[in-house]
Amino acid sequence: MKSPDDIRMQREAQSLQGPVEAANDLAQRLGLEPYDVNYWVVDYDDMNELIAYGGFQSRYPHWRWGMSYDRQQKQSQFLGGKAFEIVNNDNPAHAFLQMSNSRSDQKAVITHVEAHSDFFANNEWFGMFSRDPDAAAMLSRHAESIEEFMQDTDIKRAEVERFIDHVLCLEDNIDQYQPYEPIDETDAAEADIEYGDVSEELGDLDLSEEVQQQVFDDEWLETQREDDDTVRFPIEPEKDILAFLRKHGKQYDEDAEKAVELTDWQQDVLEILRTEAYYFAPQKMTKIMNEGWASYWESLMMADENFAGADEFITYADHMSKVLGSGGMNPYSLGLELWEYIENTENRRHVVEALLCTEGITWRNFHDTVDFEAVLDLLEPDPLVAAVDAEALEEVPAEDPRIDAESLEAARDGDVNLEKYPWKLFTYEGLAERHYSLVKPANRGYIARISMEELERISRYMFDTERYATIEEALADVDYTVGWHRMREIRESHNDVTFVDEFLTQEFVDEQNYFTYEYMRSSGDYRATSTDYEDVKKKLMLQLTNFGKPTIVVADGNYRNRNELLLEHRYNGVALDIQQAKDTLERVFQLWGRPVALRTIETTYDDHDIEVARRRDREPEPEETGRELRYDGTEFEEVELDWSAVDHLAATDIDYDTKPDEWLA
Amino acid sequence: MGLKDDLDRYREVGEQRRQDLEEFIQYGDLGESRRDEVRIPIKIIDLPEFAYDQREMGGVGQGQDGTPEPGDPVGEPEPGDGDEEGDPGEEGGDHEYYEMDPEEFAEELDEQLGLDLDPKGKKVIEEVEGDFTDITRTGPTGTLDFERLFKEGLKRKLAMDFDRDYVRAALQIDGWGPARVFEWARSDENLPVSRVWIENAYDEIPADDRTVYESLDEMEANVERTDTAQRIRREGVDQVPFRREDERYRYPEVVEERERNVVVVNIRDVSGSMRQKKRELVERTFTPLDWYLQGKYDNAEFVYIAHDADAWEVEREDFFGIRSGGGTRISSAYELALERLDEEYPWADWNRYVFAAGDSENSSNDTEKNVIPLMERIDANLHAYVETQPSGNAINATHAEEVENHFGDDDNVAVAYVTRPADVTEGIYEILSTEESDDYE
Repeated sequence: MKSPDDIRMQREAQSLQGPVEAANDLAQRLGLEPYDVNYWVVDYDDMNELIAYGGFQSRYPHWRWGMSYDRQQKQSQFLGGKAFEIVNNDNPAHAFLQMSNSRSDQKAVITHVEAHSDFFANNEWFGMFSRDPDAAAMLSRHAESIEEFMQDTDIKRAEVERFIDHVLCLEDNIDQYQPYEPIDETDAAEADIEYGDVSEELGDLDLSEEVQQQVFDDEWLETQREDDDTVRFPIEPEKDILAFLRKHGKQYDEDAEKAVELTDWQQDVLEILRTEAYYFAPQKMTKIMNEGWASYWESLMMADENFAGADEFITYADHMSKVLGSGGMNPYSLGLELWEYIENTENRRHVVEALLCTEGITWRNFHDTVDFEAVLDLLEPDPLVAAVDAEALEEVPAEDPRIDAESLEAARDGDVNLEKYPWKLFTYEGLAERHYSLVKPANRGYIARISMEELERISRYMFDTERYATIEEALADVDYTVGWHRMREIRESHNDVTFVDEFLTQEFVDEQNYFTYEYMRSSGDYRATSTDYEDVKKKLMLQLTNFGKPTIVVADGNYRNRNELLLEHRYNGVALDIQQAKDTLERVFQLWGRPVALRTIETTYDDHDIEVARRRDREPEPEETGRELRYDGTEFEEVELDWSAVDHLAATDIDYDTKPDEWLA
Repeated sequence: MGLKDDLDRYREVGEQRRQDLEEFIQYGDLGESRRDEVRIPIKIIDLPEFAYDQREMGGVGQGQDGTPEPGDPVGEPEPGDGDEEGDPGEEGGDHEYYEMDPEEFAEELDEQLGLDLDPKGKKVIEEVEGDFTDITRTGPTGTLDFERLFKEGLKRKLAMDFDRDYVRAALQIDGWGPARVFEWARSDENLPVSRVWIENAYDEIPADDRTVYESLDEMEANVERTDTAQRIRREGVDQVPFRREDERYRYPEVVEERERNVVVVNIRDVSGSMRQKKRELVERTFTPLDWYLQGKYDNAEFVYIAHDADAWEVEREDFFGIRSGGGTRISSAYELALERLDEEYPWADWNRYVFAAGDSENSSNDTEKNVIPLMERIDANLHAYVETQPSGNAINATHAEEVENHFGDDDNVAVAYVTRPADVTEGIYEILSTEESDDYE
């Protein structure tokens, strides 16, 4: 017997069958290659649950899912935030749509999901974990294992939870730039290397005195001893702290008063959580790109291709404003703006190249010679692709590369509804021309706005500069697909860091009103500091690089020659939150079983300097000092380090500070 | 397990980590709470991690209309970035609150301060213990709902049960190994069998017996399946897996036949000498008292009276903020209180609490001539005066002293001295324990 809810859900799912197929067809015509997507319609509570679980139905038991569920619920209840969909990275992907979404919401969400799925399938960072992650099954296996540990009568449930908490504190401390490598028993069994004195080993070799004198003389032995001192464990600093703890971690046994091996279940939990950290890492690393990508194609399909019917369009616009309108730095809008900017600048570069190959046009006289209105008129899409007249199909040339001959045939027979789906008539080339970015009202200033520097740069690598006699001739050769082509290339190889680094320009920052801000010691509040794109980029880099977290590495697993753990903070000019670092060290101790230490560089401000700075209307210079925090299981010891001990940690070539040198009063 | 369980665990964790109640009353932000919902900040709910110092980090903003000029203040950065979807482990880090209702607050305060105020009143009819029909997750063993525990266990067993002989038979099909059988059992037959079980079962089958059947069809033709009900009838239930989470304890339903009502009159001196610090101390003392009494009684009503030389009634929102210029005559407030109480809250039907606060300054003789007689006239469970005197050097401030001298150890008059936030809980204890010591019954 089906409950009424099930029946409603099924009906909803059935009514979406058409839009789902259509969206997939349209996405493919637009050049996307999504994984297959299974769509599910779920109610409000299930939706919140799925969001809390990161898009999956089954996760290991932990209070943090309860916390995010609670937050999610309050957010949608009080702040009007609305959950529309969630899609997970899997092949096939699974997308969950909320039943209460309006029909236009559902359509928008489907187009959005298809684009996400394309991103999952094609972005190489996702391939770092696996091209076929089988994620739902993996996460549900993890859930089962951890549930088993919790139900095991020999293990206390609270103990398992606490252990999970410890590991989660380090979930971002993996090496996300390396492909995921599982650690199994053999890796873990790798014994801690012992370094004896070479001269003792030589004694064991039973060599004759002469050989020893000649080959292994004292001088050589001395160099060996020096090398020994520098042999470190790990040999290279290890960024994947979870892996290091998985291989070499222990736990402190209160009764025995010493470190003992981690139990089997603890090792399993550690590896399970490490695996999940790697699985979710690409999503964190490509959030701006991925959300922007989905919003870009969603908006193209929904608004430009009328995927929402006219009556649905108003609610669609409302939906978009909810998604893009939330305050602060919003990854959806930054991503969308950057993708549109890339499309426009790539198209512009291509058009400008053609124009510069026209007789009489050079980069020097470009702005004076070119009639930009005329250029835009010439770039307008051919009437053949701009509009579809379902009555006049006989005149449409089937052999035109922009026309999908098969659809045309079907439409003539009445099998394809071009009133509803006009885009079915076109191929990729046809659609690219139909949606050419530079002639859209918002983008009509792009070509004229190109800077002299960029013109000069483009023309520097050009030859055959008099290929065309007129601009008509030049523009007839314009390839309308270059923008999309470039976008697809970028979505394959970039992550948020490289994406912002490469494509954020002054033109973009000016257009979109981005600025940086800093906390001012002198006035005790946050102030806008710069609108220079280099500064905006710096700040974004800081927020995006390494998940926006400081880089911490394992420097020595045999610190103080007593198997203590030494972590080092690669200081980039932005100091650590020391209190949190201490709290985290306490957790690391639980996974190492022996004392743990962290070296960092601290910035301090002298009260007197702040006062002086305030009077002079400037910002005080911080003093940077090396610091070591060491936790032995009961208390912290803090020592100031000589600069030489931390010199190698301080990056000299990066500066994330955007405060102007002199404040203009 | 499942999300329900995760939510329960979150609440438990949140409870452990919320700000200590006493600390909250003394120093916390009371303004986030409402009268019927106490919101106590949870200290750290997110797990710690290696992170940048927020202030050192700065950030990027996007101007709505134009871009701010360098040097323009931009306000506190907003936590989170407007997107919570599909992003586990990365939540906005601002305040979380543990929400408790006044009942829980009163219980906690009882526990923490060692109070045990029993709400009483003349017209309250005794509580009646009803049938053992309500259930809870913990309780004395004697009240364990074993029938339910057994049923849940049985349900679980049924869900985990499958026809073992039938699966064993499948392992005897020629060419079928554990992998194949596992695949068949899980996807074709939907049997809740684990891979380990199959592998063990396979190992137990002698090699000769592994090729009994030619094919699945032959096996199906020869082996009869039994369903769970048949098996249980034949073999008995054997072992039922009991789980702690299925345990429920019955407790008696509480039947109350009459509501217990309370009215709390809050009186505050708003004259010029009551500066910001003193006002805050009054708020810190009165607000928890209000919550406490509201939590203790079924129905609580509040009257707020402000006074300088005259008295007038105000709304709660305004009560703690008002400041006026005039002198001080405390009796004006008691006159108004008497009038309001007699009008609407007859002593026969209502428990009454009259709390007044000020810096002990009063016009000459007013305390002795007017206030004390009025306090004696107003029937109440408890009268209290809270003296707030952060500066501690007012000269003619003798009201509290006079009241204390007059009433001495009287068990329905309390005087508390609160000169700094740290004194607040002691003041509250002083007030509430005064009534406690009285044996009314």
